[in-house]
Order: sequence, then C-alpha cells, then structure tokens
Amino acid sequence: MNWRRFLFLLPLFAGILASAWLNIFAGSNPILYVRLDLGTLLLLTGGFLSILVGAGQGFFLWVDQREERLLDDTARERRRFLSRLDHELKNPITAVLAGLANLRNAAHAASDDKTLISVEDQVQRIRRLIADLRKLSDLETRPLELDTVDIAGLLEDVYQSVLNKPETEHVELKLLIPHAPWPLPTVRGDEDLLSLAVFNLLENALKFCEPGDAIELRAFEDQNSVTIEVADTGPGIAEDEIPYVWDELYRARAVRGIPGSGLGLALVRAVVQRHSGSVSVRSREGSGTVFLIRLPV
Amino acid sequence: MEERVHVLLVDDEPAITENLAPFLTRAGFKVSIASDGQQALDFLTQSRPDLIVMDVLMPRLDGRETLRRIRQEGDWIPIILLTQVGESTERAMALEEGADDYLNKPFDPQELTARIKAVLRRVRPGERPLVSATMIICTGLRFDRSARRVFVDDQEVTPTPRALHLLEYMITHPDELVSRERLLDVVWGWDYPVGTRAVDTRIAELRRLLKDDAADPRFIETVPGLGYRFIAPVEGEA
Repeated sequence: MNWRRFLFLLPLFAGILASAWLNIFAGSNPILYVRLDLGTLLLLTGGFLSILVGAGQGFFLWVDQREERLLDDTARERRRFLSRLDHELKNPITAVLAGLANLRNAAHAASDDKTLISVEDQVQRIRRLIADLRKLSDLETRPLELDTVDIAGLLEDVYQSVLNKPETEHVELKLLIPHAPWPLPTVRGDEDLLSLAVFNLLENALKFCEPGDAIELRAFEDQNSVTIEVADTGPGIAEDEIPYVWDELYRARAVRGIPGSGLGLALVRAVVQRHSGSVSVRSREGSGTVFLIRLPV
Repeated sequence: MEERVHVLLVDDEPAITENLAPFLTRAGFKVSIASDGQQALDFLTQSRPDLIVMDVLMPRLDGRETLRRIRQEGDWIPIILLTQVGESTERAMALEEGADDYLNKPFDPQELTARIKAVLRRVRPGERPLVSATMIICTGLRFDRSARRVFVDDQEVTPTPRALHLLEYMITHPDELVSRERLLDVVWGWDYPVGTRAVDTRIAELRRLLKDDAADPRFIETVPGLGYRFIAPVEGEA
C-alpha cells in the first residue's frame, strides 16, 4: 500500500490526535479565547500545515533512501563477487590457452583432433564469459564520456552492423524511426555504451528468433524521455521468469540450449542505469517479447 | 646459427610459466623464468635478456614496482606487462610507467609472440623508448604526456579522453600496424561487437583535430581491412 497518497490527510489526522489528547488528558474540552488578526491566524495555520506535510515528506524520503541503500549494498556485494570471480579465472584460463597452443603445436596432434577442437571451443566460451564479467564490473566504475548522442543515427548504425550478420537472413528485421512532426531528440550520454546496450538487445532477439520471425527496432519520444524498443515475434518469456531476465547469469529455462553468457541483458541494464534511464520488458509466451530502454532527454 | 632472442618470463603462477615457456621456446625464443619481481631483478644482475614479459600482480615485488625500479636505473630493456585488472587506469598506467606494451589476461599466446616481435622491431637497444618519454614531438604535433595536452601547430586541441588515449597509444607505437580490435582493447580493455565502429569514430575525431586527411594522411594511415598505422616520424623527449 502506498501511504504517500494519503499525505494530504496528515493535517486532519494531526487535528484528530490533538483533539483526542485534549479530551483524554485535559479533562473536558477547555474553551480558549484567542484574540488574533484573521490574517495572522491564517498565516499561522498555513505555516503549521506546511510543517506537518513537510515532516511527512521527509519521512518518506528517509524510507526511500534507506531502501535504496540496502539495494545498493546488495548490488555492490554481487558485483564485487563477480569481479573477484573474474579475477580468479584469468590466470587458469591464460595457462589453459597456452597449454592448448602447445598441444596444437606438438607434432603428434592432428589438426582435426575432435577432442582438441572441442576443448578449444569450450575454453573460448569461458573466455567470453570472463570478458563479459569484466565489462560488467568495469561499467560500474568507469567514468562516462558524456556527449550529445543522436539516437536516430545510433540506431541506424547498430541496425546496419547487425544486418551483415548471417543470422538476419531468415528473419524480417525492421528499423522504425519517427521523423514527423519532428525528429527524435538527442540525449546526453556515452555513445559507445549506448550502442553496446542496443546491440545486445538486438543480438538477444536474433538469438532466440526462428526463421520467419519478425524483429523491430524502433524508438519514440514522449515528454521528457526517449524510448527504444526491440520487439520480436520469438518464443516469448514465461511470466514467472520475467522479473529475473535482467539478472547476472540468469538463463531462461526455454533457452538454456542456446549458447550465451547470461550477461547480455545485465550489461544493458547496467549501461542504462548509469544514464539514469530505466529498462523494462513485456512478453507473452508463444507470441513474442518487447524490451524497452527509456532514457531521459 | 643466429642468436635466439632471450625472453625473461616473470609470473608467480607456475601453471602459466610452465605452459607459456614451451610455447615461446617453440616460437623460437630462448626463455628464462623468474617467479616474482625480486627474482627478476636478481636475474638481471647476472644476465642480460633481450626482453621481459612480466605479470603485474605478484608476491614480494609486484610487476609495477619492478618496472619502476628497472627504469629508475636508466635501464630501457623492453618490457611487456601482463595486466589483469580490467580497469582503464591500470592500462593507462602501464604505458605511463614505461612498459613498452601490455596484454590483458587472458590472452592468446600467439598474441604474445606478436607483441614481443612488434616491440623488438620498434626498440633500438640502449635507447630510451618512446613510451618512457614525457614529451613526444613530430612535425606539427606535440603531445605532452605528463600534462596530457596536445598541440597542433602550437595551437592546443582538446580531444575526448578516449581519443587522447588512442592517440597516446598510436604515437608511442609508430610505424606499427594496429588492428581495430587491439585499439578497442587499448581504449576499453574489452572488445564488443559494434566496438570497432567506436574506434573509427575516435580516429575520425583525431583526424579532424590533427587536420589530417584520410586520403593523404600525415599522421594516421588507414590500412584497409586491417587497422591503422601512425606514419609520421616521432621523437621523444625526457
């Protein structure tokens, strides 16, 4: 229940309390005669009400901040853990990469040795995971390079770069950018990071779509934000899994067979949050999914 | 028979030295091993390798401190640092403190041999390398590394931090073909699929500031399909 909505009742509630106190502790209701200008009386009453409402707002602010701090602590703790994990994995993987290269070089190894190829593939997979972990912890601390970002141009660039991929051949991929009555506004942001976020969403959609599916990359503005959407007619996400899709290393049940690090969406969220924006997702199982990025203008 | 290039490999993790040493030997180098900075310094008093490959995080004496001590003695032996903290500051510092190049762990061992060869090509024995210079000068361009300021024809220009970083890497590695992926790694510490476009954007920014013409370059040349190369003759000053 959102108590904030009842803030306007606070003065009335304070009045009731005060009157109850008089009745209970001061015996019968005493009558008080006050001689005061009407103007002064109104001013005093107004001031008193302001103080009451202000106190109420202050309380809610305090509650908010405490919640935020708790959330921040958990997020920080998790990031710290991930970065330590990343750190611990680097040396062994470096050694394994060198060891594999030695095996490759050894005279007795055939170049099509299935075991060797398979191990190499798996090592590369772990390596990508480590790289993504590092990106994630890096994103938390790296200073943003803020500039004016032309969202329409950015989407066009990302769209073009995805268009070259073989996966897009059997999917209907569209870019929809409004031009009328005026073009999309620009945002203050780090262009490199924002294109990474949009790219990840598109790549994600491509990964789960099947031949014949449609993907739309689109954007629109409302009063004080730009919304970027990546919509697809893919398999959709089960309702109980929707709250977790942005979490690090979360893989939805239906897509565990599809390779991926489970960090793509977490990266998107980290980027958007550092731009004071928000992410959300709407999905229906069997129909498709829309991922949204909202950025303040 | 030609004398083989002698590489001193310094890492506290035996798994790494045990696997990298045979790889480097097979690649044609003579390899010695030290397990921390102190051992590396001790080794240097008795022997003279051609190049050092050194981890940053080590017990006793870490790579950074070892590098500092070697440079303090006026020794310009080529050094490649193996960094592992992904933070951009660590990478920037590696160059500032006079490492000739660096590689982020984990790396492909082939990438290490490529770096070693590139560094050896660039370095003139006994001479102070560009990466240790605080002021870098070439015709019409001055890069003050300690103040992080750039002057074109004596007019100061202000590149974005990432472009500045890119320029620093390119100007301290002149005549070297640097791939977009490598530059992305330099500026970002990690690569991502649309990232090479980000590199192109920064290069375009630099060209604009340096009044460089991509079709007839004075400073930065595009090598189609491969990357970029800093072509102007460069001189360093202490």
